[in-house]
Amino acid sequence: MEKDTPILEGKNVAVGYHKGKDIHWVARDLSFCVRPGQLTCLLGPNGVGKSTLIKAIMGQKLPTSGTILFQGKPLQQLGAKEMARKVSVVLTDRISPGNLNVRQLVELGRGPFTNWLGSLSEEDEKVIDQAIASTNIGYLIDKNVAELSDGQLQKVMIARALAQDGELMILDEPTAHLDLINRMEIMQLLRDIAHSRHKAMLVVTHDLDIAVETADVFWLMPCGGPLVSGTPEDIILSGHINQLLPQGKFYFNPSTGKIASISPQDEFLIDGPEKVVQWLKLALRKRGIKPDGNIRLTAMDDPIRFLLEREDHTVQVSTVEEVLKELGDG
Amino acid sequence: MGKGSTNRARFYPMGGLLLLLILFLINVSLGSIAIPLEEIVSGLTGGGISKRSWEIILFDYRIPKALTAILAGVALSLSGLQMQTFFRNPLAGPYVLGISSGAGLGVALLLLGGSAFGWNLGGGGFIGVWGTVLAASTGAILVLVLMSITAWRVKDSMTLLIIGLMFGSATGAIISVLSYFGGAEELKLFTVWSMGSLGGVSQAQLGVFLITCLLGIVPVLIFVKSFNAMLLGERYAESMGVNLYQLRWAMILSTGILAGSATAFCGPIAFIGIAVPHLARMMFQTGDHRVLFPASALIGASFLLLCDSISQLPGTAETLPINAITSLFGAPLVIWLILKRNFSRDF
Repeated sequence: MEKDTPILEGKNVAVGYHKGKDIHWVARDLSFCVRPGQLTCLLGPNGVGKSTLIKAIMGQKLPTSGTILFQGKPLQQLGAKEMARKVSVVLTDRISPGNLNVRQLVELGRGPFTNWLGSLSEEDEKVIDQAIASTNIGYLIDKNVAELSDGQLQKVMIARALAQDGELMILDEPTAHLDLINRMEIMQLLRDIAHSRHKAMLVVTHDLDIAVETADVFWLMPCGGPLVSGTPEDIILSGHINQLLPQGKFYFNPSTGKIASISPQDEFLIDGPEKVVQWLKLALRKRGIKPDGNIRLTAMDDPIRFLLEREDHTVQVSTVEEVLKELGDG
Repeated sequence: MGKGSTNRARFYPMGGLLLLLILFLINVSLGSIAIPLEEIVSGLTGGGISKRSWEIILFDYRIPKALTAILAGVALSLSGLQMQTFFRNPLAGPYVLGISSGAGLGVALLLLGGSAFGWNLGGGGFIGVWGTVLAASTGAILVLVLMSITAWRVKDSMTLLIIGLMFGSATGAIISVLSYFGGAEELKLFTVWSMGSLGGVSQAQLGVFLITCLLGIVPVLIFVKSFNAMLLGERYAESMGVNLYQLRWAMILSTGILAGSATAFCGPIAFIGIAVPHLARMMFQTGDHRVLFPASALIGASFLLLCDSISQLPGTAETLPINAITSLFGAPLVIWLILKRNFSRDF
């Protein structure tokens, strides 16, 4: 099946830079594989070498050791022109595209396919229209790029990358600077494009929540350790996800899918419907209230009530605030 | 693309050419001696002119000067546009980034260095003309190479401008030293040159100027698509298959030859290079270099013709230095551009 043929394959890749005669490693033991039709999210703390790895995959920087294969061919053997037809990118660089309108910006993506003057063929126009339709920016095409909001601009940049029509799209933090709704929308869009257009999509992101919701594959790049890849759900259940977090300081809670400041074992055991319980837990976490063997907490829905059972007496309250007061805080 | 921009794309080049023609006619009809417009038109269309003196004035002085203005306007505007896009700096231009000073240093070395180093290449003659052009272009290219290395290290556009000013000051200082040691004759020659003039170009020199302009335009034609990709910055351009190394050298050579030869023939002319690309962007409402290059060339030629017409001081026999006029118009224009709220976003 075509889906199983990897577009990009890395074998024991190490990236870094040469400082005189010495090689300064940024990251090593990176083995990975990108397949078409999948949204792959690369996660890792700042400074771990994600950008350097991306540069290596884009062919802008040679790996210090190991090999990267693009469709079975070593990456170095592909020329700049050929690379441009196969890989397109959305970067974090701020652009100042003097007086271009949205359509013209998307048209730039056809650059690697057109003649020296950049004249667009019927085929080119079709690809551009398709890219605009896939990203739902049809209503923006006559707008000046400078007038766009951050979220709109990001979609336009995605459309441009899509117009470049490579098998692999690489996006470096496409959701940075965006509000919550836009972040969700962009990631959903990328996922839809990966699936419907059968593109291999590699996204560097710090948005763990949204990545969990959208990604087909996770690549984790922990400090020092090798690259771990797998289905997000497996990575969470196996606890590998905690490699992203500083040990003993933050924990990934598999029940809520969120990062918390205390480990799940240190939390109050609260009975009741999940909807109410998780918010009460959050309130207790934030105030650093540790479990107390003498108190049993129960939450109830419809109407919302909380039961605090102590050995000698039981209190029933109706707000989280009152619970906190009872437990001696606030 | 909308209908408005299509109409604009059709109408503006025709209108621009017409404007250029009108400005050309106005330009050649102005001067200390009044020549009737009918006579000029008749002379230009091959019909002959009634007075021999008018013919000499027209064909030996005014038309070469007007053509020089057109060539210099085209050359400086195209340099400015390339530099603005390549350095992604709306305030870049051959004058601001010290390219003209570099060209000036080349000319100074040639003219003033005569007494210091014992050569005599200045003055007229075939070798003299090419020598001046070569010296100016080399000076311009050297400064451009230095600026490119600097731009590669500092990404901040304001820092780049300050460094450009420093280059300008440094070359100015070297020129001062050369002037100090230069002979009186050469010094006069250089001083007259440095005031800037469109009138000093003979018919033979005009031919050389035309050749260098065409040479400088070739890289622009080859790399027009890459300049569009550069609108998104170096890394995006690279991801779209642009060879930055080639583009950088194309820009340096083209700008060096264009700005260098314009400076060699006309002296340093300020503000055309920086202001005209912005006028083109505003008038044509586009960032597409396939439009901007011809548009800048057209506007640059018209603008310099207009400035030259004004410098004739209509009604008198006096002529002001061209550099004064371009600065008088260019400086407020640039200030206005900076004050415009969305200047950096518009670029």
